[in-house]
Amino acid sequence: MKREDIILTTKQFLSDEFEVDATLIQPENNLQQTLDLDSLDYVDLVVVIEENLGIKPTAEDFKTIETFNDFYDLVEQRLNA
Amino acid sequence: MLINKENITSIIPQRAPFVMIDSLLTADESGFKTEFKIASDNLFLEDAVLSESALIENIAQTCAAGFGYLNSLLEGGEPKLGFIGAVTHVNVEKPAKENDLIETSVQVLSTFDTIHLVEGTAKSNGNVLLTCQMKIVLA
Repeated sequence: MKREDIILTTKQFLSDEFEVDATLIQPENNLQQTLDLDSLDYVDLVVVIEENLGIKPTAEDFKTIETFNDFYDLVEQRLNA
Repeated sequence: MLINKENITSIIPQRAPFVMIDSLLTADESGFKTEFKIASDNLFLEDAVLSESALIENIAQTCAAGFGYLNSLLEGGEPKLGFIGAVTHVNVEKPAKENDLIETSVQVLSTFDTIHLVEGTAKSNGNVLLTCQMKIVLA
């Protein structure tokens, strides 16, 4: 999957799941703040990521993810591994 | 059967009259199964019908028993405490009645750190009574 496809797919499923405006999902924006995630929401986040992108990030992975760009990097890395 | 009625309180924190499972039938990383006979003196009976909240509690206690059992095996110690973080997607199909045998299954859908997303189904005589999803946090 190309990076632009990852970005497009991610925008779609995250805006649907967390009911946020897709235009707010920008590479430089903070993922947690944009999606308004609390600790319990992360388990939902992992479920939709797995369903839509086929990878399952861990709690350890999210320690290094601040922006959507960080997330796209992780997805790209996992899909190409 | 993994844990019978006499020993069920060794893996869940609830005590009579709030114990809403009798026995733990199966438990592995993918899910758990319990049984519960609705006795005539159950606190949650009204006109011989069990309240829906009692079925949700039954599913929650199935989670407590399953996770408690697995943790006690893995770590050889006391079961961890579990807290319900959220209950969602509640679907009530049929009422449970006095003397019904409730068969409850819980499937672990996903785990993130200490948070588990599970789907529970309470059945009686093969009929679905209630389904819901829960987020369980193990402390």
